Amino acid sequence: MTASKRNRALTPTELDRFGAELDALRARTVAQIGRVDADYIRRVVAVVRYTGLLGRLLLMVGAIGGAFVAWLFWPGVILGTALLALSKILENMEVGHNVMHGQYDWMRDPHLDGKTYEWDIVATGDNWRKTHNYMHHTWTNVRGMDDDIGYGLLRLFPEQRWRPFYLLQPFIAVVFALLFEWGVAIQELRVGRWFTGKTKHRAMWRKFVPVGRKMGKQMLKDYVLFPALAGPFFLPVLLGNVVANVIRNLWTYTVIFCGHFTADAEVFPKESVRNESRGHWYLRQLRGSANLSGGKWMDLMTGNLSHQIEHHFYPDLPARRYAAMAVEVREICGRYGQHYDTGSLPRQFGQVMWRILRHAWPSRPRARRPLVRAEAVEAQG
Amino acid sequence: MNAALHPASHRPRSRLRRLIAPLVVPQVFDFWASRLHPTWSWERPLARIVGRSEASADAVTLLLAPNRNWAGRRHEPARAGQHLMIGARIDGALVSRSYSLSEAGRADGRIAITVKAIEGGKLSRHLHRDARVGDVLELGPAFGEMTLPARVDGRWLFVAAGSGITPLMAMTRQLAAQGMPVPLTLLYWARRREELCFVEELRAIAAAHPNFRVRFLLTRQEPRAADEDAGRIDASLLDAHIDDLAARQVYACGPGGFVANARGLIEARAQAFAAEAFTPPPRAVEDTGTVAVTLARSGRTLELARGESLLTALEAQGLKLNSGCRMGLCNTCSCGKSSGATRHLHTGDVHAEPVSSLRLCVNSATSDLVLDL
Repeated sequence: MTASKRNRALTPTELDRFGAELDALRARTVAQIGRVDADYIRRVVAVVRYTGLLGRLLLMVGAIGGAFVAWLFWPGVILGTALLALSKILENMEVGHNVMHGQYDWMRDPHLDGKTYEWDIVATGDNWRKTHNYMHHTWTNVRGMDDDIGYGLLRLFPEQRWRPFYLLQPFIAVVFALLFEWGVAIQELRVGRWFTGKTKHRAMWRKFVPVGRKMGKQMLKDYVLFPALAGPFFLPVLLGNVVANVIRNLWTYTVIFCGHFTADAEVFPKESVRNESRGHWYLRQLRGSANLSGGKWMDLMTGNLSHQIEHHFYPDLPARRYAAMAVEVREICGRYGQHYDTGSLPRQFGQVMWRILRHAWPSRPRARRPLVRAEAVEAQG
Repeated sequence: MNAALHPASHRPRSRLRRLIAPLVVPQVFDFWASRLHPTWSWERPLARIVGRSEASADAVTLLLAPNRNWAGRRHEPARAGQHLMIGARIDGALVSRSYSLSEAGRADGRIAITVKAIEGGKLSRHLHRDARVGDVLELGPAFGEMTLPARVDGRWLFVAAGSGITPLMAMTRQLAAQGMPVPLTLLYWARRREELCFVEELRAIAAAHPNFRVRFLLTRQEPRAADEDAGRIDASLLDAHIDDLAARQVYACGPGGFVANARGLIEARAQAFAAEAFTPPPRAVEDTGTVAVTLARSGRTLELARGESLLTALEAQGLKLNSGCRMGLCNTCSCGKSSGATRHLHTGDVHAEPVSSLRLCVNSATSDLVLDL
């Protein structure tokens, strides 16, 4: 375990109080949820729709108009692509991710229903609800239970067994970032088990059908229908769509990796979640998550995953509440001697890149530092 | 909660709509459509309030213009006597309850509901106080069995109390529009005169149609007019106002206690009796202690009290569940139950077999349960 020396082990009593304080903060926030949250998410949905429409229009203006009036081409195509990317980023982060967590289920709006929402990427909402909402959030950074640790592809923690394959990891990580939505799409399929024969072809096909259908739909929309609207000038529109999707992929990859794979992030063995108390659960979420500093724009563009710690504490509360909660969460963590991992995007992403490079090579875990003091006594005794 | 239970999707589609359906994302379509017109939507039944008038001191009549997605506009016209789910956004959340149509089958396709502001009633108070012309409401399909037959014959008696007047008023209007083909008497109870709805209209119908008689019965005021009387429903009051009960087909509607009384007084004596209550009859709590209720989809297990309805008990645990009528009519709150026994709070019957739709609002747990939530 790569525990930071900045954390101290809590006694069981402290751990209970730590959990109770965080529960109380949750209850105080739940009591405030109402119209402002509903208005906010509707406003973001409107921004997604308008930027999406404007982006696609500008792409058309650049592609078709540019063929006749040369100076229209580059401004139209570049601005259109940028707006489309912005729209897709907001749709994925602030709307899709948060709605699928059920943060807005209380509104009872069928279009913002966590159980049926379908987002604008090739991965299906249903698979994400399982791998992300359930597995990742319940078993955050628990080895063998949380697939998000390296997505079965990367070695980011010394606790993962090294194989020569990982030497290619700096290269693989870049490809993975460019194709991130496809990585998420096939995550639940566990292709590795199919390659090694643990999953039968028929079972694999059954799991693939809904995923393939969603992939087809997305490709038809972005790479066939919208470019086709430009007729003979389809190529710039097609490229604009590809680039917008890649920009969105790189951004979501960056945000998500910064949320869990910074220098201080820890992974946990399966034993640690046996009979886990509420306080212990919070502590594990804290030690496995990291925030990004950067203010309101960073919050919006990351769908408030800049408050990854608060998100992991309270995944089903409207994310716009995290910024205000963070002040108290940070203060509580400080009082219990727990490191609250936050930093600027360059700083946090630098740490992620270092992890990717470092653990491509063989590395050995540091000595395990316990979360709870009672464990320490037992271990020494 | 359960998408399969949303009434919106049970609507036959035109060939064109079926053809382009795979290309349409309803939430994107609805966003742009609603910019053009407030009730345009791909498949959600919505209605705009186009008229608003005071019906009594504490009731308001809303005239609604439903969009084309509402079943009543297309293939299954709503009938007088039926109810429908009405939903409005209150503090950001959609709140739905069922209301009777006070006027159905209008030529312009509009429908009217009359809403009485109920103490502590979220939606009724919102509709009564805050709803304005131009507001958009969610609609459900019309439902309910207490309607007039296609060919009305015989002699009729309507017995109403409080808001129970609404479905009976819709049927009275329908009969009046047909020239009152059968003898009809309406006995209408309220606590005070100012709580009575449709008084002028009912008197006008009575004046125009000798076949129709209306009596207003007050429980907390003395009678003043010739068509008024005082007192709670009982045998002598009934006999005073209706002399051929044995020949009458009777429809009764009102609060649970009133309907139970009416049933006791009338059912055995009249030719036919049908009733609808808009609040459940008072229930005796006999089950005590707690059970463990497992929510299969969210993986939670909760300790719930045996005696109270599952809906109330789950809401008390902080769950936000879809709910509508809260009396076992509309099915909005239903969810699958894969194991355990439940008691129907109205009938007292215990059901132990797994079902795909357990109405949470009218069932309590009698053993540990596994629910599909």
